[in-house]
Amino acid sequence: MTERQGDQTLSGDTIDVSRDSPLNGAGIAPDPAWFEQSVVEPPFACHVLTTPLHLDAASESKTNSWTDWAGYTVADIYTSVEQEYDALRTRAGLSDISPLVKYRVSGRESVPFLDRLLTRTVGALDTDRAARAVLCAGDGNIITQGMLFRLADEEFRLVVRSSHLDWLEQSALGFAVQVEDVSGTIAGLSLAGPSAAKVLTSAGMEKPEALSKGQAVWVQLGGMPVYVSRTGMLGGMEYELWSDPSDASVLWRRLLDVGHRQGVKPVGAAVRDIARLENGVALEGVDYLSTFTALDSADSRTPYDLSLGGLVDLERTVFNGQKALSVIAEKGSARVLVGLELDLADGAPIGSVCTGERRIGQVKSHAWSQSLQCVVALAVIDASALGASDGFSVETGSGARRPVKLAKRPFLRFS
Amino acid sequence: MSEDALRYDAIVIGAGHNGLVSAGYLAKAGKSVVVLDAAELVGGAARTAEISPDYQVSTAAHLVSSFPRRIEKDLKLSKHGLSWATKDMATVALDRDGKHITLSSGRKNDQLTIAAHVTRDGDAWKQFDARMRKYVKLLAPLLEGPMPEMGSEVPAKLANMMALRLEKLGPADLRTFLQLMPSSIAALLDRNFEGDLIKGALSLDATLGHHTGPHTPGTAFSLVYKRALEAMGQGVGYPIGGTGALTEALATSAEAAGVRIRLESPVIQIIIEDGRTRGVQLEDGTVFEAPFVMSSADPKTTCLGLVGARHFEAPVATHLRRIRMNGTTAKVNLALEGLPTFENFTDKEYGGRLLIAPDMGTVERSFTAAKRGELTLEPVMELVIPSYHDPRLAPMGHHVMSIVLPNMPYAVDGGWEAQRDTLMKRVIDTLREYAPDISHKIIAGELLTPPELEDSYGVSGGHWHQGNMSFDQLLAFRPAPGMANYKGSVDGLYLCGAGSHPGGGLSGLPGKFAAETALATEKTK
Repeated sequence: MTERQGDQTLSGDTIDVSRDSPLNGAGIAPDPAWFEQSVVEPPFACHVLTTPLHLDAASESKTNSWTDWAGYTVADIYTSVEQEYDALRTRAGLSDISPLVKYRVSGRESVPFLDRLLTRTVGALDTDRAARAVLCAGDGNIITQGMLFRLADEEFRLVVRSSHLDWLEQSALGFAVQVEDVSGTIAGLSLAGPSAAKVLTSAGMEKPEALSKGQAVWVQLGGMPVYVSRTGMLGGMEYELWSDPSDASVLWRRLLDVGHRQGVKPVGAAVRDIARLENGVALEGVDYLSTFTALDSADSRTPYDLSLGGLVDLERTVFNGQKALSVIAEKGSARVLVGLELDLADGAPIGSVCTGERRIGQVKSHAWSQSLQCVVALAVIDASALGASDGFSVETGSGARRPVKLAKRPFLRFS
Repeated sequence: MSEDALRYDAIVIGAGHNGLVSAGYLAKAGKSVVVLDAAELVGGAARTAEISPDYQVSTAAHLVSSFPRRIEKDLKLSKHGLSWATKDMATVALDRDGKHITLSSGRKNDQLTIAAHVTRDGDAWKQFDARMRKYVKLLAPLLEGPMPEMGSEVPAKLANMMALRLEKLGPADLRTFLQLMPSSIAALLDRNFEGDLIKGALSLDATLGHHTGPHTPGTAFSLVYKRALEAMGQGVGYPIGGTGALTEALATSAEAAGVRIRLESPVIQIIIEDGRTRGVQLEDGTVFEAPFVMSSADPKTTCLGLVGARHFEAPVATHLRRIRMNGTTAKVNLALEGLPTFENFTDKEYGGRLLIAPDMGTVERSFTAAKRGELTLEPVMELVIPSYHDPRLAPMGHHVMSIVLPNMPYAVDGGWEAQRDTLMKRVIDTLREYAPDISHKIIAGELLTPPELEDSYGVSGGHWHQGNMSFDQLLAFRPAPGMANYKGSVDGLYLCGAGSHPGGGLSGLPGKFAAETALATEKTK
């Protein structure tokens, strides 16, 4: 009996949920949205982000080879490594650097805030100037690094490789300062190579070569306001152009068009990586990990480990990491980053760094440098082994050892 | 600038018991010291005041349980007017039917009174109490001095002593101790006892003033820690003249040693120059200068308010900001026409520390209510009748009653203005269940809510202990990780309040240890 009753209810009409249904009292009609099926999202859904230049990059790409940069999809190789490298080092290369994280720091106490946040003071930085910025955690290890632009007296832009808004907000406690993540509102283009200045001139900028290193200026390129800075990490003559995302595509197109005669070519992430290695720049996430990402603290580095001691000013009022860094400065680094040059034409994968029989470190990144005709590599080794008399060698994938020599960074020098 | 500034060897902020103990020790070491306090009277949370004319009571803290004999002797407090009304109060778990459990230091009797409820609990108590004493001994060395700095090398002596003590416990006791550490007091008591009343009373003891309930993990350790702190003292009691008499004796002793106590002098800023304290500034602009500053204000107020977050590295400021200070204690003080009649009460009970917590469920419900911002229907409480041992607090034959009410929300639904009377009514209704004639005897009464305690004593969050005393905020983590050595992260700043190790309660130990640390540190400079 009860069973049948149950059946009846089940097979009966579906419940009327409409506004006029007698089930609903006066005035309490259910919102139809309650009954709509929500879009089910897999728990670890991967959101692919694209930069404002994605479609332009796609139209330039002959290889359809993409890579991930901080969650953004960017072109890895447009045509071929050789062609792009050739363009970058002998003419000019244009690349998309929009995935960089940008923070706007503004307010009455921006300067004291940044003084406490960064390893050196910013008060002396002039407007429209950029300086390298290193953020350290309480243990003295690097959180991230990048460039700090002074846009106005009380307005700065911090451009870094990874996102740390939480840390910035924690650091802002007690300061009359505003910190905003403006990454999405600024597109970035990098124009590098011997002809970069000429390309900019053709694009409508007056005297780009007059811009000194670290200097920046607002210019109009084809009617678009663009903030051009003489910054970058690829070495040589290089500019970074910061614009509104909606202008970015036009700007990109314009630079390729007017620079056609100078031979400007789009350059993908692969060649950018080779170039920064030649320039001897250690990259977060590759050569070392942000102390907030490192599972093992041995993977994170202090500024001293990366020979960035010059960017740390210990003798001043408190800043993040000061206590730990003072101790480290006195004791010296335990593990340091060094440049290695190998005479290894085939560029075989390389692992441990050894002196004699002793393993003293690990190669972190390496690449074949066409300009230097050798393999350049960055490795982290024990500081105590630096003066080793036996010379250094690296293990290749097959277990064989090849001699290497320590090299000064940057590997590639520009006149 | 500094011409008309006032110069001392040390500045102490706050004239509460810890501030005064610090000042006393500094003066004893030959320093010229000034103590600055915003209030009109010394004492901080240990102050005696009138409920109504002629009825005096310890306004906030009403018991002294962990004040060491050492400090009393060092600062010659008895010479300066300190004498104890009682030092061995019994703890009485009140029973509605008059079958109270009276715990005093006589172990045999304790066992009997517990066994009168549930026979098996008598033996259980014997074992439980013995084990507790062992744990207290184990913890003792940690409370006898400053904690070693986290990350630095633990002094070999302390490490060895702890290792030895753990070893000496033996495998069985060690296991139960390790099991106890993360346990809730409810779990611990359920493992040991059957009787509701004993469990209610002990769970109230473990959670009193900590914004935790019997089922909160870590509360078993709170009971051990509370007992360990009490072991540093001279027994549960209060001085003649209430807890205010203790701080007055401290003040007199300090002044006799040359300390200047300047009241009605609210400090608004600790001046930092080149990463070091230079002095303090008062609200009216007066500047006091000294090579170092001791603050007995709570760590948040001191570091983030008076010094400013910018003078700390961001992680330190974040740690400070995250100190949990949920003040959930209220205080009711009553002036009574005569002694209320409790069934089966003898001299010992009237002069004891009375606990109203019929079972753990009631204690837990009061905590749950506080969490939700509600007033509990059945308040639990710790009450004493100070005039019983110290008749001068009230006119002849009359009495005062001092009641600590835990688990009262800082921000109550409907606001405290609207809820005061409800709470007062519930407190008196609850009391009537034990002493039916109490409502006829009340002449006057006062209620201090957590926000009022915050206002009166300047403790952010209104927390009596200047920060929850749970395992994550004790020992090396008090007041914050990396700051357990009383040094406030800024050179020349020392934290000497209850927010520092070993914590709250009228012990004076943070004040003493901070002064010793400051003297040792500043000497080497």
